[in-house]
Amino acid sequence: MSDIFDIAIIGAGPGGMSAALEAAQQGASVAVLDRKATPGGQIYRDVTQSPLLDPSVLGREYTEGAELVRAFLEADIDRHQNADVWHIGENGEVLYSQDNQTRRLVARELIISPGAMERPFPIEGWHLPGVMTAGSAQVMLKSDGMVKDGAIFAGTGPLLYLIVAQYLRLGVTVNAVVDTTPAGGVGRAMQHLGGALRKPAYLIKGLKLLNEIRRAGVPVFRHASNLSILGESKAVGLQFQQDGRTHSINAGHIFLHQGVIPNLNMTRALGMEHHWAEQQLCWTPVLDDWGQSSIPHIAVVGDAAGIQGAEAARHAGRLAALKAMNKLGKLNDADLQQESSANLKAIKSFKAFRSFLDAYYPPTPEHRIPVATNTLVCRCEEQTMGQLRAGFEQGAKDPNALKALTRCGMGPCQGRQCGHTVSELLADWQNKPVSDIGYYRLRSPQRLLSVEELSQFQNIKPVQKPAEVSA
Amino acid sequence: MFRSLRKPETQSVSININGQTVQVAEGSSLWAAMALHGETQTRLASVSGQQRSAYCAMGVCFECLVEINGVPNQQACMTTVEEGMHVSSQHLTEQSIAALHQKESADHE
Amino acid sequence: MNFDAIIIGGGIHGSATAYYLAKAGLKTLVLEKDYVGRHASGVNAGGVRLLGRDFAEVPLSKEAMSRWQTLDDELDGDTGFRRRSLINIAIDDADMSKIQTRINSLAGLGYNHEVQIDQQELRERLPHVAHNCVGGVVSEQDGYAIPYKATTAFRRAAERLGATFHEGETLANLRQIGDTWQVRTDKATYDAGTVINCSGAWADKTAMMMGDNTPLSHSAPMLMITARMPHFAGPVVGAISRQLSFKQFENGTVLIGGGAKGFADRDSNHTTLDYKKLALAAETTKTFFPIMKTAVINRMWAGLEAYMPDNLPVIGAGVNARNAYHAFGFSAHGFQLGPVVGDVLTQLITTGKTNFDLNPFRIDRFERKVL
Ligand SMILES: Cc1cc2nc3c(=O)[nH]c(=O)nc-3n(C[C@H](O)[C@H](O)[C@H](O)COP(=O)(O)OP(=O)(O)OC[C@H]3O[C@@H](n4cnc5c(N)ncnc54)[C@H](O)[C@@H]3O)c2cc1C
Ligand SMILES: Cc1cc2nc3c(=O)[nH]c(=O)nc-3n(C[C@H](O)[C@H](O)[C@H](O)COP(=O)(O)OP(=O)(O)OC[C@H]3O[C@@H](n4cnc5c(N)ncnc54)[C@H](O)[C@@H]3O)c2cc1C
Ligand code: FES
Repeated sequence: MSDIFDIAIIGAGPGGMSAALEAAQQGASVAVLDRKATPGGQIYRDVTQSPLLDPSVLGREYTEGAELVRAFLEADIDRHQNADVWHIGENGEVLYSQDNQTRRLVARELIISPGAMERPFPIEGWHLPGVMTAGSAQVMLKSDGMVKDGAIFAGTGPLLYLIVAQYLRLGVTVNAVVDTTPAGGVGRAMQHLGGALRKPAYLIKGLKLLNEIRRAGVPVFRHASNLSILGESKAVGLQFQQDGRTHSINAGHIFLHQGVIPNLNMTRALGMEHHWAEQQLCWTPVLDDWGQSSIPHIAVVGDAAGIQGAEAARHAGRLAALKAMNKLGKLNDADLQQESSANLKAIKSFKAFRSFLDAYYPPTPEHRIPVATNTLVCRCEEQTMGQLRAGFEQGAKDPNALKALTRCGMGPCQGRQCGHTVSELLADWQNKPVSDIGYYRLRSPQRLLSVEELSQFQNIKPVQKPAEVSA
Repeated sequence: MFRSLRKPETQSVSININGQTVQVAEGSSLWAAMALHGETQTRLASVSGQQRSAYCAMGVCFECLVEINGVPNQQACMTTVEEGMHVSSQHLTEQSIAALHQKESADHE
Repeated sequence: MNFDAIIIGGGIHGSATAYYLAKAGLKTLVLEKDYVGRHASGVNAGGVRLLGRDFAEVPLSKEAMSRWQTLDDELDGDTGFRRRSLINIAIDDADMSKIQTRINSLAGLGYNHEVQIDQQELRERLPHVAHNCVGGVVSEQDGYAIPYKATTAFRRAAERLGATFHEGETLANLRQIGDTWQVRTDKATYDAGTVINCSGAWADKTAMMMGDNTPLSHSAPMLMITARMPHFAGPVVGAISRQLSFKQFENGTVLIGGGAKGFADRDSNHTTLDYKKLALAAETTKTFFPIMKTAVINRMWAGLEAYMPDNLPVIGAGVNARNAYHAFGFSAHGFQLGPVVGDVLTQLITTGKTNFDLNPFRIDRFERKVL
C-alpha cells in the first residue's frame, strides 16, 4: 500500500467527513486521520454507537448526523481512527501517533478540520475541582453516558442551553442556569437581523430551549455578571451579580460555557497567517472562500476556520475538496465554479446568521479579561493575572516575551487555555488592538509526545491499512 | 457523584485505579471510569500542589494528567481503558521534585 | 538625538554592554529590531558552561563564571542562575584518555577547573546513568540560568542606570562623518560617538555598515523540553564523544539539546525543525539515562545563532573605522559569556585597553585565509 495520497484530511467531524466524501466521489485517493475511536467529530460524537438506550433525547440535530457518518463509513476512503496527528510539514508530510507508534503519510493536498474548543472562562476559582466546561458535560454524555446531578450551568450561548435541555430530558437534575447573556440582545444583534431572518428556524431554536428549561422548573438567572467560583480546594458554589445584587448558590459542580473558538494549535504550528476576528473575539486563520490558507497546499475548514457550526462545516468541507481536485488537475475551472456556487451561497447565509448569534451571545469582557489579580490565567504553570501584570511591567509586552519571563503558556496545554486571554490582556494594558499583539509562536508536537515514541523515528512506520470501524 | 446512563449490556474490563481493582465499561474513557468510581482527582497542580480534576474532557486543558502503567503525564480523557491498566493520580509537584533533589544533594555531602 | 554610544542588537550582549557602558556614565541607546531577548539570548539552553571551552576562551569564560555566581546581586534581578556542576560523560577508555590529555594541557596553562571522575563517582553524582558509562569530567562552578530572565535582568539594570532601549526599531544605515556616527533606522536618525555591533545572527550585515567584512554564517540549533518528571539529575550533563546534552531544571522539566540544527531563514525570523535529528537526540538521552523512557516531550523549538568558521566569537574594535566595536559570532556558546563581554568592550571604549588577550577574537583574523 502506498503512503502517498491525493488528499489527506485531518479530523472526521462534519467538515472533514464531507470533504472526504466529495473527494472520494470525485475519484481522488483520500486518507482521513482522526484521533478519536469513531468518526463524528464533536457534534456527532459516537452517534452510530451511542452508549445511551435512546439517543434521540439528544435531539434531531444529533441523530441526523448518523446519516453522514454512515455515508462516510461506506465510501472509498482510507479511514484512520485513533490517529493523533502531532506534526504537519510544510511539504505535505503528516506524522501521527497510533498504538504508541509514530506513523507517516504524505499528501498532495491537505484539508484540516480539527474543530473548535470552548473559550476559556478565566474567572476566580475556575481551576478548582468541580468546575468543568458545559461541552465536557456533553462529551461525557455522548461518549460514556455519564452525567452529574445537581450542577449549575453558567455562561452564555446556544450550546449551554442545549446540554441543559439534554440533561433534563434524561431526568438529570439541574441546580440552576446562570445566564451571562447581557440584556438588550436583540437590539445589539439588530444590524445582523437580516441574516438571521434568512434562517428563522435557528433564531427560534435557542429561545425554545430556554423555554424548555424554564418549564422544567430550573431557576434561570438572566443577565448575570461578575461570576466567580466559591471554594478553597474545591468548588462549593457560584457567586454572581444580578440587578446590582450579589447572589451565591451552593453547588459542588459548575459547568461553564461562553461559546467556542477555533482549535488553533495545528494552524499556528504550521505558521499560517492568522487574524483577530473582532466579531468572534478569536484568532482565525486567513483563508479564501474555498478554505485555502496562506500555505499553498493546505486548506482549513469547519470550526477551525472560524466558528460557523456543523452545517456550514459540511459546505466548507465540500468546497475545499472541490478546490483540491481543481488544484490536482482533476476538475477544470468552469466545473469548479459551477459545482461550488450553491455551497458558496449557503456559507454566506450561515455567516450572516452566525454574526447575529455572536452579537446576541457575546462573551462579556469581565469573563474574558480578568480583573481580579488572583485569577489564574495559565492553569498549567499557575500564573495569575497579577503575576502577568508584573511581568508586563518588567518589559514583556509580547505574548512570547511574557511566556519566556513568567512561564505562562509553557505548560502541557501549550497555551490553549491562556493564549486568547494573554493576547487580550496585553492589548488592554497597552491600549492597542489585539491584532497588533499577536499570539504565542507554536510548534509541533501539538500535544505531549513520549520520548519513547519520538525516538522510534529512525524507523518510522508508513501509514497502516485502516482497521474497519462499523456503523 | 457522577452516574452512568450506559446501556446495561456493555462488556466490562478490569483496571486498577489508585491501588483498587475495579470493573469498568469496555471502550469507556479512562476519565469516565475514574469519575464513576469517585476518583475525580487527576493530578496535583505542579506549582501550588492543589488538587485538580478534569476540566474539558476533550483533550485541550491537560488537567486530567495521570500516571498510566508507570508513565506520568498521560491524558485520562483521551485514553480508552484497557484490561489490566494500572492508573494512579499524578503527584508530581515542584515541592516533591525539589525534595528529591535535596535528598540527593544531602546524600552526596 | 545624541548618544555617546549606540548598540545594534538587544540580545544578552547588547543588553549587558548597555549596562556596563551606562555604569561607566555613557549615554547609551540599544536598537533592537524585534524585542529584547527575542532571538538566541531568550531561547537558548541556558547552559552556563566553562567545561570544555576552547583554550582561547578560557580566561573570559572563567571571569564570566565567577561573575555568574553573584550576578543576581550585581544586577538586583533574577537571572535564574543555579550552580549545579557540569559533567561530560565518558563511555570508554578512549574518552577517558581524551579527558586526561586535556586536563594535562589545561594544567600547563595554569588551569585546574576540570577534574576527572571515575565510574563510582559518576554513579554517585548521576545515579541514573547507564551502566556502561565509565567515568567523566566535571567542572564544579558550572550550572544554568534562565535565558530570557537573564537578558531581561541586564536590560532592567541598564535602564535603571539611564540606558535607553528601543524595541521594534531596525538599523538601516551607518555613516561616520568626522567623529560622529550618523545612525539611521527605519524610524529615526541619531548621532553617536561610538557604535557597537551586537547583532547576533545578523552581525555580518551590521559589520558591513561599519566597513568590516566577516565570514559569519547562521544556523538554527534546536531544543526540546519535557513535561515535569521526578528529579533524577542534579548536574548538567554532556558527553565526551556523543551528542548528549541535557539538564533537569529544579521544576522537574528536562531540557534536551545536543547541537542538532534545524533550518534557518534569518530574513523572516523563521526556523524549521528537523524532527529526525530531534528524534536522535531523544534516543541518545534515553540510552544514557534509561529513566528518560518515561519522559514526554512538551515543546520543541530552535533559535537563530551566529557561527564563525573557527567557532570563536569576534570581540573587539573594528578595523576599518574608528569608534566601532564588535561582539558577535558566539557559535552556540555565547550565553555564558554574557557578564564579561560587555565589560571588556566598555573598558576598550573608555580606556582603550583591557587585561584580556583579544587577539584570537579579532575581526580581521580570517582576512588572509581561504575559507
Ligand atoms: C465540546 C463541544 C461540543 C459541541 N457540541 C455541539 C453540538 O452538540 N451541536 C452543535 O451544533 N455544535 C456543537 N459543537 C460545535 C462544533 O464545533 C461544530 O458544530 C462541529 O462539530 C464542527 O465540525 P468540525 O468538522 O469543524 O469539527 P469537529 O466536529 O470538532 O471535528 C474535528 C475532529 O478532528 C479531530 N482532531 C482534532 N485534532 C486532531 C489531531 N491533532 N489529530 C487527529 N484528529 C484530530 C477531533 O477528534 C474531531 O473528531 C461543539 C463543540 C465542542 C467543542
Ligand atoms: C537553541 C540555542 C541554544 C543555545 N544554548 C546555549 C547554551 O546552553 N549556553 C551558551 O552559553 N550559549 C548557548 N547558545 C548561544 C547563545 O544563545 C548566543 O551565543 C548568545 O545568546 C548570543 O547573544 P547575542 O546578544 O550576541 O545575540 P542575539 O541574542 O541573537 O541578539 C542579537 C539581536 O540583534 C538584533 N538585531 C540584528 N540586526 C539588527 C538590526 N539591523 N537592527 C536592530 N536590531 C538588530 C536581533 O533582532 C537580535 O535580537 C545557544 C543558542 C541557541 C540558538
Ligand atoms: S480533561 Fe481536559 S485534557 Fe483531559
